[in-house]
Amino acid sequence: MEYVLVKITRRHVFGSLSYTVLFDTFIALVLTGIKFGGGFVENFIISQCIGISICSLALTGLYLFRPANPLFMLVLVMIAIIIGTVVGWTLGSMAAGLSVSLFDQRFMPVMILGIMFGSIISYFFSYRERISQSEALIQEERIKRLANEKEMAETNLRFLQAQIEPHFLFNTLSNILSLLDSDLERGKSMLADFIHYLRMALPKTRGETTTIGQEIEMIQAYLNIFKVRMGDRLRYRLDIPDAIKGFPFPPMLIQPLVENAIRHGLEPKIEGGELFIRGEKKGDRIRLEIIDTGMGFNEIEDTGVGLSNVRERLQSLYGGIGRLILEENRPSGLKAIIEVPHDAN
Amino acid sequence: MTQTKAVIADDEKQLRVHLKSLLSELWPDLIICGEARNGQEALELIEKHRPDIAFLDIKMPGLSGMEVAKKVTESCWVVFITAYDKYAVEAFENEAIDYLLKPITHERLEKAIRRLQKQIAASIKPPSNMSDIIEQAITRLYNKEKSGHLRWLKAQHGDGIRLIPVDDVSYFKASDKYTLVLTKEGELLIKKSVKELADELDPAQFWRIHRGTIVNAHYITKVSRSLTGRGVVKLKDRPELLTVSRTYIHIFKQM
Repeated sequence: MEYVLVKITRRHVFGSLSYTVLFDTFIALVLTGIKFGGGFVENFIISQCIGISICSLALTGLYLFRPANPLFMLVLVMIAIIIGTVVGWTLGSMAAGLSVSLFDQRFMPVMILGIMFGSIISYFFSYRERISQSEALIQEERIKRLANEKEMAETNLRFLQAQIEPHFLFNTLSNILSLLDSDLERGKSMLADFIHYLRMALPKTRGETTTIGQEIEMIQAYLNIFKVRMGDRLRYRLDIPDAIKGFPFPPMLIQPLVENAIRHGLEPKIEGGELFIRGEKKGDRIRLEIIDTGMGFNEIEDTGVGLSNVRERLQSLYGGIGRLILEENRPSGLKAIIEVPHDAN
Repeated sequence: MTQTKAVIADDEKQLRVHLKSLLSELWPDLIICGEARNGQEALELIEKHRPDIAFLDIKMPGLSGMEVAKKVTESCWVVFITAYDKYAVEAFENEAIDYLLKPITHERLEKAIRRLQKQIAASIKPPSNMSDIIEQAITRLYNKEKSGHLRWLKAQHGDGIRLIPVDDVSYFKASDKYTLVLTKEGELLIKKSVKELADELDPAQFWRIHRGTIVNAHYITKVSRSLTGRGVVKLKDRPELLTVSRTYIHIFKQM
């Protein structure tokens, strides 16, 4: 058992001594109960003397030698138990007014009891110490992790808001550039959509919360761009009732799901597919579904990064009430569902 | 001298139009013998027309531009086109393979054309180890882009399949042929074995504490020792205690 006692502190001394006194009292009671020795008072005095001697010796030994090696520590404690029993018995017998002799026939059983109880108590102490040490460490780890997680969630949000995916950026610009030569009107309208999207997606130009309607407006611009780029390969529908468009909604929660559906679902699929975005108020919740008929889900690929981010943000914004559910869509693709309480904002 | 032929491949129509018009302007003699909308088409067109040059977008559905170039058996010069691929650009920096960044500019395309014209005029053949070069580039890309750890589990839910983030799992327990997954929302069965999971999950977060048990370290609230000296782990929101076998107790001893 690798276990390193770092330092004997005041806490150890008081803790161990008070437990020892308790244990000794218990031992005295048990011994009296089995009619050992000369009554409770005598047993009590002797067992207290033995217990306190062992405990003091063990603590002193650990304090002086600071054993890092568990075997050395075990030897140290055993020596403390043996010497402690002899010393404690001698002192205790004197205090109880009994004759003291190591050749007393009562000495052997006392020695055996001393070693037995001493070992049990020492084991209890080392066990307790190990638990409190690993608990302290786990607690420390937890705090570190929580602080880290909080920080990460904040960074992620900033990062996500600031991020315009480079493939998206350069491919869109290429398309616009090309259209300016071949179809000026379409080129202009694509540029307008792109500007609209950027204005809403970049962090400095938007507030902390938006409405579902505004988010959908941004998604619309985003999809217009992809419609030009993907042509017939992308078909999409939006079904967001006017009644929910005014609800406040955290920014950039829907967009990563739409981006995910296109980038990992529809774009890599030769024949492309459909994207369907719908929303509804269901009881006290708003439910939004982003459904694609694309490639479906890859368990390992980094597709999860954007999705994990959405999950974390829902968690930090709404606790357990807001959630992201991902399901396989039939016959193909992915269905992402966001549920948030509608009166939480 | 026969005329130089080229195939262009990009999944976005407007970008094919753009490249074609730039090429017709800068290299009027070049014959575009085929336009591909995805990787498979590109491969077929190259095999069919045996062009001298293939302009291949890297990110295409079906096969990527790189996979196409690797599979091509005809010898042809390859020019990759990419919107943004830091690693791909690095991978081809010092190779015989040229690449263009989108949006393609006159200047850069002109430079690529001059280089191709020179090579073709001098009857230099494309490197015969092309597929090796690309194979290496793909391996490098693959290693850099994949984190590799399992992040989601597919599990039956009602009559559909639901994707469960591994972060929600408090622990996995072997159960006959299946593995029992315990999450805050309930229990699920998956087919992946505990051994497979141990290989695929992020070892920094998921600790194997027993031959048949993997715990999510983020959920551990308490580690203690039972009276028999075995390690026991308590997890958040779970009443049961999980035993740490001797083989794995070292995880906690480091603490």
